[in-house]
Amino acid sequence: MHLIWEGFTDALDMIFSGEPLVFSAAWRSLWISSTAVALAMLIGLPLGTWLARAKFRGNGFIVLLFRAGMALPTVFVGMMCYAMFSRRGPLGALDLLYTPWGIVVGELLLAVPIIVGITHGAIKSLDPRIAETAWTLGAGPLRRWWTYISEARVSVLLAILTAFARCVTELGIAMIVGGNIKFRTRTLATATALETSKGEFARGIALGTLLLVIALVVTALIGWLSREDRR
Amino acid sequence: MIEVSQLRVEREGRTICAVEHLGITPGSKLTVLGSNGSGKTTLLRVLAGLTGDYSGTCRVAIDRHELTYVHQHPLLFRGNVLNNVRYGQRPGGRDALEWLRLVGMEHLAARSTRNLSGGEVRRIALARALALKPRLLLLDEPLAELDKQACEIVSDLLESLAETTIIIASPTPLPGALGKTTYTLSQ
Repeated sequence: MHLIWEGFTDALDMIFSGEPLVFSAAWRSLWISSTAVALAMLIGLPLGTWLARAKFRGNGFIVLLFRAGMALPTVFVGMMCYAMFSRRGPLGALDLLYTPWGIVVGELLLAVPIIVGITHGAIKSLDPRIAETAWTLGAGPLRRWWTYISEARVSVLLAILTAFARCVTELGIAMIVGGNIKFRTRTLATATALETSKGEFARGIALGTLLLVIALVVTALIGWLSREDRR
Repeated sequence: MIEVSQLRVEREGRTICAVEHLGITPGSKLTVLGSNGSGKTTLLRVLAGLTGDYSGTCRVAIDRHELTYVHQHPLLFRGNVLNNVRYGQRPGGRDALEWLRLVGMEHLAARSTRNLSGGEVRRIALARALALKPRLLLLDEPLAELDKQACEIVSDLLESLAETTIIIASPTPLPGALGKTTYTLSQ
């Protein structure tokens, strides 16, 4: 109990003293995960909607693959990215290994199945009159798509939140692809793992608490965005 | 404008809509009568292009952007009433608020679409459909859930649309000019 309490007080100390290493890792965690989720939204929202609306052979199998992808182990994604980005890998020329952008790509692979899977379920379960009404009112494909997303916004925002939560807390990709380099690729999750491995449990708990604070802020923000009474 | 011949829609081995012959000229007002389950809604859905799984012929000689269908239980999108009426509206037409005024719902313009009564939803959905200035208007039981005064407002408005072809599905005959031409579907 003393250890946990010490961790919380250390967390407050770190926040109020403005420790550069901690703030650098927190900021990096935030921008890497936000960028990965934003890119995943660009791919996942249209793809999830299309899979929910389109009727073609093999549709169910593709959806099954994305659903399975929601449980991808981060270490596996990290290893695959490592193999792709390493000097002898097919994407070695991009020089992404041990860079924040390498982590972004890995987290993108983690976030896309989550956004596709949840968006697909959300759009599929919409009242069929929504699509029919939009169509009979002459809405084009883009307007219809936006109408579906807007009507399913609570589930869509949940998809984004889930993807963000998975990305910001993941360790495997950041460790393997990023390499946990100080002031360069260290994220809150890798910093937490490092401190814990050094036996600095209180600092580990403190960094974990910071992660929790970020998750709370993002959850509150998304909760506010998805309020029913928002116009 | 519309030519339907030997139309048959079947579901699970049962005929849910059968029309021998039906011809509709531009600007006419037709009421499709029939008891529950006679296929009124199915016929409107075929005409609207929402149901393509049928046998026989159904020719609707206008572009899909020139026809609008209002469901038996209309759905309003989230947001406020005015934005719903503006949905799909092309520039240059009558103001959305004016359409709401014509159905007697302008006082609800800024209200959220939640917590509206069935009759209010129906009238707003009608205003939204009319705002598109369709050449063909397909209405599924538009007077259901409306009180006497609202029925008169909606009936008068529909009768005044001389250039619009209107097909109304209704289980009972409609009052006034709207109910003059009928087509009855048998079970």
